[in-house]
Amino acid sequence: FNPNWSRQMTILQESRSAPGFCLLKGSFSFHCHQVFAPGGFCYVSVNWSKSLVSTNSILMLPLYFLVCLFFVCVFVFAELLLDILREKPQEADGIDSVVVVDNVPQVGPERLEKLKNVIHKIFSKFGKITTEFYPEADGMTKGYIFLEYAAPTQALEAVKNADGYKLDKQHTFRVNLFTDFDKYMTISDEWETPEKQPFKDFGNMRHWIEDPDCRDQYSVIYEAGERTAIFSNDAKEPITAEERARWTETYVRWSPKGTYLATFHQRGIALWGGEKFKQIQRFSHQGVSLIDFSPCERYVVTFSPLMDTKEDPQAIIIWDILTGQKKRGFHCESSAHWPIFKWSHDGKFFARMTQDTLSIYETPSMGLLDKKSLKISGIKDFSWSPGDNIIAFWVPEDKDIPARVTLMQLPSRQEIRVRNLFNVVDCKLHWQRNGDYLCVKVDRTPKGTQGVVTNFEIFRMREKQVPVDVVEMKDSIIAFAWEPNGSKFAVLHGESPRINASFYHVKNNGKIELIKMFDKQQANSIFWSPQGQFMVLAGLRSMNGALAFVDTSDCTMMNIAEHYMASDVEWDPTGRYVVTSVSWWSHKVDNAYWLWTFQGRLLQKNNKDRFCQLLWRPRPPTLLSTDQIKMIKKDLKKYSKIFEQKDRLSQSKASKELVDKRRAMMEEYRRYRETAQQIYQEQKSIRLELRGGVDTDELDSNVDDWEEETIEFFINEEIIPLGDL
Amino acid sequence: MNVLTGSADNSCRLWDCETGKQLALLNTNSAVRTCGFDFSGNIIMFSTDKQMGYQCYLNFFDLRDPQQIEDNQPYLSIPCNDAKITSAVWGPLGEFVNAGHENGEINQFSAKSGEILKKAKEHSRQINDIQTSVDLTMFISASKDNTAKLFDSTSLEHIKTFKTERPVNSAAISPIMDHVVMGGGQEAMEVTTTSTRIGKFEARFFHAAYEEEFGRVKGHFGPINCVAFHPDGKSYSSGGEDGYVRIHYFDPQYFDFELEA
Repeated sequence: FNPNWSRQMTILQESRSAPGFCLLKGSFSFHCHQVFAPGGFCYVSVNWSKSLVSTNSILMLPLYFLVCLFFVCVFVFAELLLDILREKPQEADGIDSVVVVDNVPQVGPERLEKLKNVIHKIFSKFGKITTEFYPEADGMTKGYIFLEYAAPTQALEAVKNADGYKLDKQHTFRVNLFTDFDKYMTISDEWETPEKQPFKDFGNMRHWIEDPDCRDQYSVIYEAGERTAIFSNDAKEPITAEERARWTETYVRWSPKGTYLATFHQRGIALWGGEKFKQIQRFSHQGVSLIDFSPCERYVVTFSPLMDTKEDPQAIIIWDILTGQKKRGFHCESSAHWPIFKWSHDGKFFARMTQDTLSIYETPSMGLLDKKSLKISGIKDFSWSPGDNIIAFWVPEDKDIPARVTLMQLPSRQEIRVRNLFNVVDCKLHWQRNGDYLCVKVDRTPKGTQGVVTNFEIFRMREKQVPVDVVEMKDSIIAFAWEPNGSKFAVLHGESPRINASFYHVKNNGKIELIKMFDKQQANSIFWSPQGQFMVLAGLRSMNGALAFVDTSDCTMMNIAEHYMASDVEWDPTGRYVVTSVSWWSHKVDNAYWLWTFQGRLLQKNNKDRFCQLLWRPRPPTLLSTDQIKMIKKDLKKYSKIFEQKDRLSQSKASKELVDKRRAMMEEYRRYRETAQQIYQEQKSIRLELRGGVDTDELDSNVDDWEEETIEFFINEEIIPLGDL
Repeated sequence: MNVLTGSADNSCRLWDCETGKQLALLNTNSAVRTCGFDFSGNIIMFSTDKQMGYQCYLNFFDLRDPQQIEDNQPYLSIPCNDAKITSAVWGPLGEFVNAGHENGEINQFSAKSGEILKKAKEHSRQINDIQTSVDLTMFISASKDNTAKLFDSTSLEHIKTFKTERPVNSAAISPIMDHVVMGGGQEAMEVTTTSTRIGKFEARFFHAAYEEEFGRVKGHFGPINCVAFHPDGKSYSSGGEDGYVRIHYFDPQYFDFELEA
């Protein structure tokens, strides 16, 4: 609040007698306060209009407008001027534009000229070299040189790009800023042990897995984002585990193994976990809009379109979750294909693709693998195998070199398979969840035709030499999905209303067999159960929520149902339940989520005011060995009996509870009605009086007054010939 | 035997039920929203909307005094300054009127003095309709907040709540069973965003004591605006935005049906 405010106010008041002058004064204060005391601004407005009125002259209005315009222009111009001034080339005070290059070949005077030319050629790419100095000793160059550029930014470019440049087998340049030497020299020799942070015990982070009834959790955002709740899934009805208002500002994300819940805020993200969902960690990244977790849950990647400067990349930041430290920042032009960084399945590597380049980084150093990116001209897309450290990528046709898909092993960078493809329009990579198979969906325009046909190139990753089989598809493809854990895949193809669902099995003998095709399906999405075998074909959004539950072991339709206007389908991590929901983000009414069994039996309809999103909490991988799982499956009958008994008990408990509840409600209601009836009877005399002695309490109270009349009226005439008599 | 009607043509009219002859015409400054006879049939009340600069008023006329009708001068006129009255019913003995407002409030106005005797703020959004039980001891209010609530007429005590997922336009209490029926849907202008399938709009039956829905009747293909039970409780009618009035007679099973308790 501007203390000069009161003084300026009095000035305004004093000069009210001179309307013209007041005008100018008023507008000047108007702007002053806009910049310094926003609170005062409002007050000035009010007084301002008052003085306008008091001047009683409408002619002042255009003048007022022009004056305002003038001041606005002045401010805008000043802003622009400042910008230009900032970029004004500064007289270099020298040091900031100097780089030191090490590992330069040591040469004698006869080869010095050649060396200088080579250096010049390499280093003038980054800017104008104004001075160069090649120190000598005993007639040979010392092996390090100094280069001065025209501006410090050019020096930085040189460091960024030339550091690590391999001139030849023995000489790899090390480039540093001259000022860096100074910086590192002044580091104190004294080592200070970092302060020991107190251990924050968050309790059992896997608490939800220990639920004795094996209930999975899911998060629900409703009331248009105002409330977020965590429920435990019980077949009867959801049990609330936690519910908070304004827990997140936009949406939430679970970490891949379910340990953390991430919420979004203007200033960054927060991670919550443990039994009571305490705040585990906080990451400050202004304006964060997207996040991604590493599969091992060690790192989280955040993206914000706001903060990015040339010197300090801040668009994408990778954080260490346990320590909360910022590990590395990256630039990012656009977040169109999030996640920009794709993680390998074990979290050892992460990679991103830029123009003609594939950059692979390793953890925990966060540095480029082998210190350099891969140059892959024309690379269009890449994807990690979910089971091994193998990257699949494809490049389109280049003049007479056909398009090809390459599988590369990491970290060795060995190309284990290359597949050439002809007349390619586009490719999409689909890995099976265990990395056993890769399907490349290839859209091609065969020679001599105009249309586009699609092939599926199936790579068998577990077989020697990675054999490839091709499945040709006649219609356009709407959706494709591998069976998790299995060797089947499902395809939706065709055009509405003739959409077909086909199921294929990739057999061991090299054949890919079409098991079954269902035609005339109302579906645009495929949702496999995470355990395989079962799946839901859904017609979401524009297809009005048609659902088909399929058992792919014999390709039968277990159930066909509908959740009108459903926008999402989510399987629980165990594959026992499916949730279909109508999100407020896509449809403004009937917002709810429905719980079904994997066979398509509807269990619950949960309406939630302005329901937005439901996400199941992922489970960590099982701790059981394959042998133990085999044993359990063998003894399944024994366990089934125990579970059925438990279910029966809880069912009868539920009905008993319900029955008791109803009985209590009825008793209460009866008591109320009895009291009301009593009062009603007591008031009978008043009622008789009000109606002049006529008793109207019952429908037949005054039946003597009734007249009964029978009326017949004509409805229809029908002429039936009786035949010849 | 008289009929009282109120209309958006800014008038309230009294008619003879047998002959259809108009007995009285009372002009108002704004649309008449709701009207009714008291138990004796001698006093009428109606409410006018807040429109065109005119306030919402709750007016009372005594039909035994023809001067009031002739001069169009109610013996009592209560102004409502905040939320206008959207629906109102008389109490059991004609001493007060229970009125529902645009903001979800229910006020009990004395028919003698005009003061507010009791208040109830249970609904969060506009009250669309109020209907009494056949003995006038309780009434049910249907509201835009997707619920209908049962109240005691005299004490305004909130007794039961019936929850749905759509705004409730009208509700009625069965004269012979512990049932209530509710009809609703969506605002007329929002209808295209909801299901346009035939017969999707349903009348819903709830058990009055358990607050549980036990039945639905499909048929209307537009939101239901009004429901009512026949005085003998053996049928009910519903009128909808689709322009149809449907009359349903209950099967014998309806009267035997019981929820397990």
